[in-house]
Amino acid sequence: MTLSLRESMHLVTDPRNLDASVEEVFQLMLGVNCRRCSGPVEIVEPESVTAVVGFGGLLSGACVFRSGASAAMKVASHMTGMEFAEVDDTVKDGIGEICNMLAGSWKSKVPGLAANTGLSVPAVITGRDYFLHVQAPEFKLDHTYKFDDASFEVTIICDGLQ
Amino acid sequence: MSEVRTLIVDDSSVMRKIVERSLRQAGLDPLVVFEAGSGTDGLELLKVQEVDLILSDINMPSMDGLEFLRQIRAKGLAPGVPVVMITTESSEEHVKQAILSGAQGYIRKPFTAEQVKERVLPLLNAA
Repeated sequence: MTLSLRESMHLVTDPRNLDASVEEVFQLMLGVNCRRCSGPVEIVEPESVTAVVGFGGLLSGACVFRSGASAAMKVASHMTGMEFAEVDDTVKDGIGEICNMLAGSWKSKVPGLAANTGLSVPAVITGRDYFLHVQAPEFKLDHTYKFDDASFEVTIICDGLQ
Repeated sequence: MSEVRTLIVDDSSVMRKIVERSLRQAGLDPLVVFEAGSGTDGLELLKVQEVDLILSDINMPSMDGLEFLRQIRAKGLAPGVPVVMITTESSEEHVKQAILSGAQGYIRKPFTAEQVKERVLPLLNAA
């Protein structure tokens, strides 16, 4: 029998799975509670940080974490107990791991997805004035969250589902 | 408890620090930590350093954690030393693969210090 996630589409696209994953990862690894906000992430500073973890297998696509530099430093600070003045390698490493855990947690919430979809190692992009463009995804979940005064965006992009 | 020499293998330096912190919070004291950023570095370290416990990520570039584990066993390194995999991959199939490759325990990321304690302490007590 060919395994398919088509019958579980309502579970795969359930936005509550992403909210639960963000809550779980931030509570367990940072000790903070996140709340979901409406609207896109407000990045007022010039530098932003984007981490991408790819999905491959029954579902292909990516989990994307995006925030401004100060929010990324705040996340890394909560993870490590260190203070950061710039987005250095440790901050990038921490954000990559957060994205990795978000991707793993999200896929574990759908039966059939966890065992049949692999994760890539995280890639982290930093810079100014860049856009991430995905052509006609099958579906996309795009949520903004806040903790303290830091906001960030988590996106699940699916460009292929078997 | 006598000194626990622990090898932590993860390509993320932040995760290695978090694992170390969790082990200390779990009451492993005194704790001596050796870090490796890849399975290859972990194997090199095990050739010259005896350890009491190994914790390894699975999803790493170049040599993943399962291959690292298979090579430890194939090369006869760290005989009798418990190995615990720490990873975001949490399906039954991944757990089965890890156990078949020679792991004694499995911790899913994200984790709490309490979960680390529950998985690691019985292995150390039994060793």
